[in-house]
Amino acid sequence: MAISDISHRKRYLAEGNVYLPHIAVIEKIIDETSGVRTFHFNFRDEKLKAEFTFESGQFGEYSIFGIGEATFCISSSPTRRDHFEFAVQRVGKVTNALHRLGVGAEIGFRGPFGNSFPLDYLAGKNLVFIAGGIGLAPLRSLIWNALDNRAQYGNIDIIYGARSPQDLCFKYDLESWEKDSSVKMTTTVDREAPDWQGNVGFVPAITEKVAPSAENAAAIVCGPPIMIRFTFPVLEKLGFTPAQMITTLEKRMKCGIGKCGRCNIGDIYVCRDGPVFSYEQIKNFNSDEY
Amino acid sequence: MKKIKKQSIPGLLGKWQQEFTVFVPSKASGVSQMTVWDGKDTAFLDRNRNTAIPPKANFLPAMEKLFGFRKEAGSYKLEPADGEPPRQLLFGIHPCDARAIAIIDMVFKDAYEDRYYLSRRQNTVLVGMTCTSAYDSCFCTSLGFGPADPVDVDIMLTDIGDTFLIEEVTEKGKELLADAKGVVEATRDDEKKAAAARESASARVSRKIDTGEISKRLPLVFDDQEFWEKISAKCVSCGICTFLCPTCYCFDINDEMLRSDSGERYRNWDCCSFAVYTKMPVENPREEKWRRVRQKVYHKYLFYPELFDIIACTGCGRCIRQCPVNWDITQTLSNLPAGTPVKK
Repeated sequence: MAISDISHRKRYLAEGNVYLPHIAVIEKIIDETSGVRTFHFNFRDEKLKAEFTFESGQFGEYSIFGIGEATFCISSSPTRRDHFEFAVQRVGKVTNALHRLGVGAEIGFRGPFGNSFPLDYLAGKNLVFIAGGIGLAPLRSLIWNALDNRAQYGNIDIIYGARSPQDLCFKYDLESWEKDSSVKMTTTVDREAPDWQGNVGFVPAITEKVAPSAENAAAIVCGPPIMIRFTFPVLEKLGFTPAQMITTLEKRMKCGIGKCGRCNIGDIYVCRDGPVFSYEQIKNFNSDEY
Repeated sequence: MKKIKKQSIPGLLGKWQQEFTVFVPSKASGVSQMTVWDGKDTAFLDRNRNTAIPPKANFLPAMEKLFGFRKEAGSYKLEPADGEPPRQLLFGIHPCDARAIAIIDMVFKDAYEDRYYLSRRQNTVLVGMTCTSAYDSCFCTSLGFGPADPVDVDIMLTDIGDTFLIEEVTEKGKELLADAKGVVEATRDDEKKAAAARESASARVSRKIDTGEISKRLPLVFDDQEFWEKISAKCVSCGICTFLCPTCYCFDINDEMLRSDSGERYRNWDCCSFAVYTKMPVENPREEKWRRVRQKVYHKYLFYPELFDIIACTGCGRCIRQCPVNWDITQTLSNLPAGTPVKK
């Protein structure tokens, strides 16, 4: 397979230099869970602020100068451009430093990079969103994108789970989707918890129970690898073909543009050729390291 | 064809020095590598062996600054380090290393141009040298060219005793020699001597692999964990094979504070032999050593050809010569099991 052409993608390079970040300013910080924060940001440069667009599913390389860069998807919807969002779980050097930032702090941003959810393919279909934990971040970009263009899609099903009620991210979104009569929202937690009246069980099991129809549908799945691995077979049982299942993969990245080498799965680079893939594409990878 | 006496080379390099930073193979620093010519050294005229550190370092330095950052009144200023690099001339580069640069060009040109690498590349002239003293570990002739081929250079020299025979390969090469002192027309006898030198250079490369057979077998043995575990058992994941490989280009990006309010972002060579290279907070797709060894072999011999239609190995043999445990890629490639069924 020859290398794919990605020259059509929009790019916003600082001074034409792909390694030079734009300066962005943190505008708002939301505590999602004890370890997850959402950051609202905008660009310091007014012209870029007005021009910048991206597609749902794309990611950025965010930096704290002096600490380093890390990769996060843009978790807001391109239909809402007054600011941009990303969500960060505190796990390492850069993410810990990000969690120490306050409103007004400056960070670096390179992007948007990567491919995006296939809107052309999804148009006119019933959408089934299945997410676990912070895996809702990339999907909520697409969910809001679809809700802001509601007429273009059929039924919208959202199945979302976390370890406990405290670990549910984007609770304000969950509430708003609960209230939206055009959305069928199912929330679950792994184990019984005090004051929790909702579903209890792992996401794959709850998906099987909700049993969304595969007819004219597409399932968009994101969460911990183990959740994804167990959800695909459930969807297959429900009649979804591998082409109808879409996910976004996570790999350690540095450059974001297919050069530094580390995010490959066989001959594809997740940063360059992904992160969004159908299960059909994944099955055809020439490596099992996804 | 033209020729030049070896004793006239310092004069020629001196002329080139007016326009270029001239690099020659040298052991002056203890490790042989392309080194800025000091105006005197002539050892490289007779010591025609490959450098330990490949000339990729002249395009992708082991460590290079990407930009500096400075915080002033809570606001950052960035100063990119991507200015026009000095023009450089690499004298005495061997075909394997010149080809290697042409191979990694493809990655740095792809989609998002890497101006740090490419500007150095554009500002460089390559003066190649027929490799007349290949090592036992060399196997370039299996990769589609030979030690005397003027591949991917501007000028090619062949040692015929006290003289180099000159091939002007590109227009740039021709210009460089236009009014050079000591460059004269070669005689038929010189050309005969050069032809004999080229032939014996090729004959010295005795190690062979069958790339056709390898490309057929590789897709079949990817899932043969037992084979890769055996192959990788003695590897100590030191990474020297990748650092010294002329086609290994992987890099890491890091920050360093230099003062309390300023610092630099730089990139440095990285290596797929290290588990941390792919490590994520929860998972690591190549935690196990056999996966990392497999990745190295496949990247060079299957994945890279899939993308760019060329094997990312030039048979320079450095990974064999410098390996502390004698891991040998040609042995691995020659012993691939045939027809192991793919389990999926």
